[in-house]
Amino acid sequence: MREESKTIVFALGVCLICSILLSGLAAGLKSIQTANQEFDVKRNIVKAFGIDISTLTRDQIEDTYQVHIEEEIVSAPSGEMPIYMWKESDGTSPSKYAFPISGKGLWSMMYGYLSVESDLETVAGISFYKHGETPGLGAEIEKPWFLTQFTGKKLYENGAPTDFRVLKPGAELDESSVDGISGSTMTSKGVQALIQRDAAAYANYFNKIRGG
Amino acid sequence: MASAKKLVTDPFSDNNPITVQALGVCSALAVTVSLQPAIVMTLALTFVVTASNLIISLLRKVIPGGIRMIVEMAVIASLVIVTDQLLKAYLFDVSKQLSVFVGLIITNCIVMGRAEAFALQNPPKASLLDGLGNGVGYGIILISVAAVREFFGFGTLYGFKILPEAYMGNGLALLAPGAFIVLGLLIWIQRSFNKFVEE
Repeated sequence: MREESKTIVFALGVCLICSILLSGLAAGLKSIQTANQEFDVKRNIVKAFGIDISTLTRDQIEDTYQVHIEEEIVSAPSGEMPIYMWKESDGTSPSKYAFPISGKGLWSMMYGYLSVESDLETVAGISFYKHGETPGLGAEIEKPWFLTQFTGKKLYENGAPTDFRVLKPGAELDESSVDGISGSTMTSKGVQALIQRDAAAYANYFNKIRGG
Repeated sequence: MASAKKLVTDPFSDNNPITVQALGVCSALAVTVSLQPAIVMTLALTFVVTASNLIISLLRKVIPGGIRMIVEMAVIASLVIVTDQLLKAYLFDVSKQLSVFVGLIITNCIVMGRAEAFALQNPPKASLLDGLGNGVGYGIILISVAAVREFFGFGTLYGFKILPEAYMGNGLALLAPGAFIVLGLLIWIQRSFNKFVEE
């Protein structure tokens, strides 16, 4: 009996010490971690507006976000949808709009942001910040060579989404198609599908701005 | 008991946890696409195995035999969570890259293996050195595999361009089979130097 109670006391002791240590640490670091996650989102929105963030420091990116970007929630039949507006320093009407994009890749969901110019038709930039695609193949979606292709392409025409295509590398491109990634057909198809779907989801919102 | 120096350096080669004991292979394949995550993973595992060896060695006379492994697990799991939390707070980008693999250090056989095989029978100082040696021994292999894969896969080392821009990058080096091949070759080379033969 003595042996058994010693075991139980020891087990309780270990649990108590571990849980105090871990909850203390988690509580202590929570604010830094949340700040990191929030910054990660901001950084990707800034990137989606076509800004080259590779040379910017964390503070500069925070500043850029603070000065230029405004968030708005629009309600749609499918629920609430966030939209980000890029305002020049003089504070007039937005010159670019960005919205979140997400969809299935080969291995898991891909998340990113896409922005359009003030003409509400042309892509201003795109970024992906979370995905599980194969390094060196599908993971090329976050590389500049892939992302910069989208800039200047037509996402909407006359108020309707264009038939946006991510084609096999080497195919002839038009004003609403880009090269896919060789060796990553499923990822490329996923990108095409998520752009088409999310562009369609935001078409109404952009039409409203255009109308009013 | 073996000398302090031998405790640390033995796992580098003669008793390497990956190439000789074939432990921790999963993470050696998963986080070796490029050097940076491999180095951070090395530091994280070295910290966990060293600290767990030390703590378990300190407790070795009071841990009740019946719940020995559960106590080891609790200690290791706590240390891994500490590491993961610290990475998320202070090295956010790297922790995003390593994703679940930091958490999976809990299941890394090297950590549990050293606790069971060494720390339970040996005094704290020797256990600490043994943990350090095993962490570094694991890291040597991890970093070697990562260097080969990053070099052939991207033409870079630690993100710096080594091969000319025209180099296309070898996709195989970046996939799991490429890691298996590199690791297999490393084990072959290392064992032929050590004259180690599996019984």
